[in-house]
Amino acid sequence: MKTFLKKTLLPAALLVGTVLSVPAIAAEDAINVTNLSYRTGPFAATGTPLMNGQRDYMLMLNERDGGVNGVKLNYDECETGYNTEKGAECYEKTKATSIVTQPWSTGITLQVLPKSNVDKVPILAPGYGFSPMTDGKVFQWAFNPPATYWDGASMILKAISDGNVENLKGKKIVLLHLDAPYGKEPIPLIQAYADKYGFTFLPIPVGVKEMQNQSAQWLQIRRERPDFVLMWGWGAMNVGAVTEAVKTKFPMDKFVGIWWSGHDGDMKSVGEAGKGYRSLSWSLPDSNSQVMQDIKKYVVDAGKSQIGEGEFDWVFYQRGVLISMFTVEGIKAAQEHFGTKVVNPEQLRWGLENLKLDEAKLASIGMSGMIGPFSTACNNHAGHAGAWMMQWDGGKFAKVSDLLSADQDMIAPLVEAEAKKYAEANAPWPVNEECK
Amino acid sequence: MEFLNSILVKPFSDMFAAPDFLIQVLWEGLVAGVLYALIALGFVLIYKSSRIFNFAQGIMVVFAALTLVGLHEKGVPALLAVPMTLGVMFLLAVAIERVVLRPLVNQPDIILFMATIGITLFLVGFGELIFGGENKVMITEQLHIPTGSFEFEPFGGFVSIEQKDVTAVIGAVLLVGGLILFLNRSKMGRAIRALGDDHQAALSVGISLSTIWVLVWFIAGVIALATGIVWGARAGVSFALEVIAFKALPVLMLGGLESVLGAIVGGIAIGVLEKLFEIYWGQPLLGGNTETWFAFVFALIVLLFRPQGLFGERIIERV
Repeated sequence: MKTFLKKTLLPAALLVGTVLSVPAIAAEDAINVTNLSYRTGPFAATGTPLMNGQRDYMLMLNERDGGVNGVKLNYDECETGYNTEKGAECYEKTKATSIVTQPWSTGITLQVLPKSNVDKVPILAPGYGFSPMTDGKVFQWAFNPPATYWDGASMILKAISDGNVENLKGKKIVLLHLDAPYGKEPIPLIQAYADKYGFTFLPIPVGVKEMQNQSAQWLQIRRERPDFVLMWGWGAMNVGAVTEAVKTKFPMDKFVGIWWSGHDGDMKSVGEAGKGYRSLSWSLPDSNSQVMQDIKKYVVDAGKSQIGEGEFDWVFYQRGVLISMFTVEGIKAAQEHFGTKVVNPEQLRWGLENLKLDEAKLASIGMSGMIGPFSTACNNHAGHAGAWMMQWDGGKFAKVSDLLSADQDMIAPLVEAEAKKYAEANAPWPVNEECK
Repeated sequence: MEFLNSILVKPFSDMFAAPDFLIQVLWEGLVAGVLYALIALGFVLIYKSSRIFNFAQGIMVVFAALTLVGLHEKGVPALLAVPMTLGVMFLLAVAIERVVLRPLVNQPDIILFMATIGITLFLVGFGELIFGGENKVMITEQLHIPTGSFEFEPFGGFVSIEQKDVTAVIGAVLLVGGLILFLNRSKMGRAIRALGDDHQAALSVGISLSTIWVLVWFIAGVIALATGIVWGARAGVSFALEVIAFKALPVLMLGGLESVLGAIVGGIAIGVLEKLFEIYWGQPLLGGNTETWFAFVFALIVLLFRPQGLFGERIIERV
């Protein structure tokens, strides 16, 4: 028996081990980027085009350029169904292999945030997550470019007041929001605005089980007669809200959503009836841009994409492309700074903290005009890029404003206070003292 | 004193001050209630015949609605897509009986319940694979469901009633009426009830367990399709429809798991009461979103006095 083990099984095991180790060596020239995705469950309608856009950008770079400076990008997904518990499991499963964590939910972001200092894997939450994460001195490992929810709330208030928030004095503003950490995120900032500028602010929550039957919420809106309704909706909640707004005959031009409430796929359900609805967006779709044409050529036409009919032109699909660009540009910055090809999570953290996406850079990567220019720094992990107001014309979203910017004088004190509160509540919390 | 006034006086004075608004609230509650009843019926039917709590009822709603819309997208005319979808739901019922239920005959209830969780997970993955996760538009107009609204001005106010909601209520009433007739007057219906009363006795008189299981799962599929059309017409067809099934749980607690009448009365009661509570007490006093818990609390209070639910059977077991 011993002879059998020595002569047969041992060499076989060694052979298998050798064969299996070959991809491991080859994998040295690749970087793993795992997304905590949600293509199933109640929020899949929002998640699917975003994930498709992220995936296709990385596939395109692999096909067109052989990756990033010769290093292939291994894009992978761990399905969370937008469920915080599953998200936390996915984080634990992928933190050792992925160069970055993209939680794709404010709830999951808050769950993994305290672990980031220990695990030393950067958290990338583009346009979502906990707004004070922009304070890189406190949240060294968390990034929420190109803008926070508080930036978004500030820009929306500026837009509905025709550029002067003082015009809102005496008005009534409702925030229709998902009853989840994401939906509650803008409340402190809008309340601060209401206190300062003298308008009435009324948050109306929508539970996950009520997303598709918001009659109670819209009856309340009918009773309250607000001047504006702002929406922090996600997934099916957006469709439910716009449908009820149409039914309630609420004036569509007084109804404005944040960037996750401006999805073509959602608005298709209401079509012409939703005409006039506005949504803030930090990304502008441009199917004729160089990057989108390359994706079409190398991924879509090659049959490697998973997108559905018409999805290529959608705001969310092309936003997914931009989101993957943040990671890629972070990798490039780190490669250049550290003089290495296969960067590690710590080096990527530096890269994400030193993004320089000016007009020239955006033009060089074929994304001119698709996003406002911004740069990050150790004390600014969001970049605070601007955003545009988009309006549904019955068939698609169209840009109806110039690039808006948030009022940082209003936001900064709140960021500092909330970041400090978070650090104290989670003490001992390491702070980057070198960052001024 | 002010607190008592806000609970006991103000809500009622608000109702009298704006009776048109009260009518609108009651109508919205009634529509929601009828739809809850419809979902609860799917659970009741399967539980009645097989003692299985069908966790997959929610995903069946999604699957049926996605099949209907998917077939239409492939060029099948809407009115032909409906019977074809029913055919798919029948095949699903047969597959569930053959692959899942038959091998688990005589297993404890919890095993069968777990099997329905398995069916749910399978249908989530399978549905996503075939139809994708994107939100789809229900083919309301193609199915000739009216989409306008009736508008009234009672008491000098304003009430708007969506024609598709009226259609949903009428459709649900017809479906439930037909179901009650089928269960009480047809041979197969009586067989389902017999099986629900006593498996062994029903088998001993020649009732085929597998035929009845296929039948009830198919009827649950028909109800799922009706539910999917109605809810999909309100807010699109996506996997989010699955969570609506959870609204049926307090209805089942209230009405009793075995009672068709309980599902109907429980659904309507919960729909109307949760809407009234949310508008007149929840929003002014508790910040709103009470609909997520009100029905459960209400059902629990009822259970304190009637543990078997309003119309459930009192089970007496010898020990």
